[in-house]
Order: sequence, then C-alpha cells, then structure tokens
Amino acid sequence: MSLTHLNARGEAHMVDVGDKAETQREAVASGRIVMRPETLALLAEGGLPKGDVLATARIAGIQAAKRTHELIPLCHALLLSKVSVDFRLDEAASCVHVESRCRLAGRTGVEMEALTAVSVACLTLYDMCKAVDKGMMIEGVRLEHKTGGKSGEWHRASEDVSTTRDVSEPPSVDSVAIRVKFLAELRERLDIEEVKVPVASLKSPDIASLKAALEAQDPRFAALSTARILCAVNHAMAHEDTSLSVGDEVAFFPPVTGG
Amino acid sequence: MIDVRVQSPVFDVGEEQRQLLAGRHDIGAVVTFTGLVRDFNERPDVQALSLEHYPGMTEAALHDIAAQATTRWPLDGIRIVHRVGRLSPSDPIVLVMVASAHRRAAFDACDFLMDYLKTRAPFWKKEHTASEAYWVSARDSDARDAARWEEA
Repeated sequence: MSLTHLNARGEAHMVDVGDKAETQREAVASGRIVMRPETLALLAEGGLPKGDVLATARIAGIQAAKRTHELIPLCHALLLSKVSVDFRLDEAASCVHVESRCRLAGRTGVEMEALTAVSVACLTLYDMCKAVDKGMMIEGVRLEHKTGGKSGEWHRASEDVSTTRDVSEPPSVDSVAIRVKFLAELRERLDIEEVKVPVASLKSPDIASLKAALEAQDPRFAALSTARILCAVNHAMAHEDTSLSVGDEVAFFPPVTGG
Repeated sequence: MIDVRVQSPVFDVGEEQRQLLAGRHDIGAVVTFTGLVRDFNERPDVQALSLEHYPGMTEAALHDIAAQATTRWPLDGIRIVHRVGRLSPSDPIVLVMVASAHRRAAFDACDFLMDYLKTRAPFWKKEHTASEAYWVSARDSDARDAARWEEA
C-alpha cells in the first residue's frame, strides 16, 4: 500500500486519472457539531440572530463540495452529478448531525468532496450560532462509505467497529478521570468548556487539590480560587474539602442570576 | 406535590394553576409569582436576554428548594417553571406557584421560594443590547433577601 499523492521520489503530485475507467462513484461523509441544549433549541425555533441556519449551512456545504479542488491541493476538479447535505437535530446528545452524499460518474472518488461538504456545513453552523455559544465543538468528521472505483466499496462498519457506536449515546466518562465543567461567564472567560483530570494526578482527592492541579496546568485557572466562583460536585454544591472520586462531575461557575 | 420544570417554551399561568388544583377541594389559597423580562436592567436598552442553566443540577436544586419550603410551611402544592434560551422584554421567565389551606403560608412560601431560587438555582442571564452582550452580575440585595430566611 502506498500513498498515491506521493511520487517515486516522495514528492507531492496529482495523480493522472486519464487512464482510469469512468465508474459511478458515491461517497457519504458525516460529522456533528455539539452545542448547548439552549443553542439547539434556538436553532430549532429559528431564533438565532443570523436567520435560517440550516438552509444556509446546507448551501454552504454544497458550494464547498463543488470547490473542493480549490481547497485541497492535489484534488481534481470534478463535475459532481449530485451533492446533498442533510441535518438531524439530536436533543439527547445536544448536537446537530450532518451528513453529505456526493455522486458522479468519473475517474476519481468523491470522498474529499463529501468530507469538505460536511466540514464547511459544520463551520457554517458554528458561524451562525457563535453569537450565543462559542463553546460548540465540531466532532467526528469522517467518511461513512464509498462505492465505485478501483478500491471498490468501503464501509466504516467493516473497517472500524469501535467508531460506529451510536453518537446519540452519552459519552462514557473516562474510567480514571473526573469531568470538570466550566459554566456561563466563567466558561467564556477561560475559553474552555470541559476538561478531564485523572484522579491519580491529584495530591489528595478533593476540590482544593483539583484547583491546584488545574492551576499548575494553566495559570488562567487561578480564576477558580477567587471568592465568587462556586463549585458543585455531582450537581450538589461543594466546598474546598469536598472529596472526589473517579467518574465525578465537577462544575465551576459564577454566582447564579436566575429568576 | 412538587412539580419543577426547566423549559424554553412559554408557560400558561392559568393552565399551570388548573393542573395544580385539579381534583383538590382542600386548598384555600394559591399564590403565584411570575417574573418577566425587563427592557432596562444593568443597561437601559436591553433587547433580549439569554438564559443558561446547568442541566441536571438545576432540576435538583429547584426540587431541593421546594422540599425545604414544605418543611417550613403546611403546603398542598408547589409548581416551579423556569424558562431558558433567548427571551425578549415582557416575556415571562419564571413561575412560582404555591397552594395551601391558608393564605399566609402560601404568601410566605412563595416569597421564600423566589429568594432561594434567585440565589441557589444554577441559572445565568446574559443581556443583549443593540451594541453588546454581557453577563448579568449577582446582586447583593438578592443575597440579603435570601438571608432573611436563615433560621437563628
């Protein structure tokens, strides 16, 4: 097996596809953008400041697929016969699933086009929603399957079972770690939503040691030790000496302002 | 007895009261507090409010606050509905409804529930004006109001 975009001298080159037979090609790629439940609700209601998010992201994905060759250096310009971009809102996982299908009769595959469509659709969703949620994460961009061409058919399931788990399942908590969340103004100030900290890395398994470990990792976490920042462990208010164990969820947040 | 919800859709005060009272003939008083979004707060030209919460903890905290109220007053029902997401001025944001045999318990419990909700339930408000968005600061007066209920 060799990399076809490298020639005998290891230099990048565009593969000559003139001699390849034209076959019907199709590729499906998928990805997701994870956001806060409130953001997803706004998206579903059409309540976001930039307007119809999904329609815009769909057009962006389709346009991007057509211009893949301008973005990816050694990719051929293709005359796609079909590009579709579909979205599925997933409340349980608080994300939008994006799927793109690209098709053509030609000499080269359309995986890059499908992946580009998904990536740009996700980026557009981020752009359209970032006014209300900067912590969104684009995840799991990947090829699902492709048909046609020399390498024939490929399906993710047969290749890599471990990555085909249903993305709507809640992610399993790391077996040795504590999940630490940062909420509201604190999340925006630190520009971080969640970290995982191995229990074994703490001097003693409690909140004070967790703060010390985080601060040692990044001085910005000194903010956690200011008087006004509150802390909860497993959804209950906690203090410096609240003890921690594997699988716990810790949250740091500013004083509450509901009602 | 205790019904707690966090939701983005608007609530209907009349409907909430009908549900709270359905089939009951022993309730003599219902006190309802409805909080609304104001167009002036930290800045004079608030155009929208977005509310974030901590799912899981929010429901637990509201339930805990309601349970505390039932140990302090003889109550027949508590309903708390808090909205999240993006809201506009004049939109209802929070509902606290308390039912009891007599009015005094219902008035006091409703007052207590709002004071504790404002200082203990994990909600955060962000106000949007024409030119900016900022997180609302916690008020000392809310903390003082909540402290009134601390038992000596």
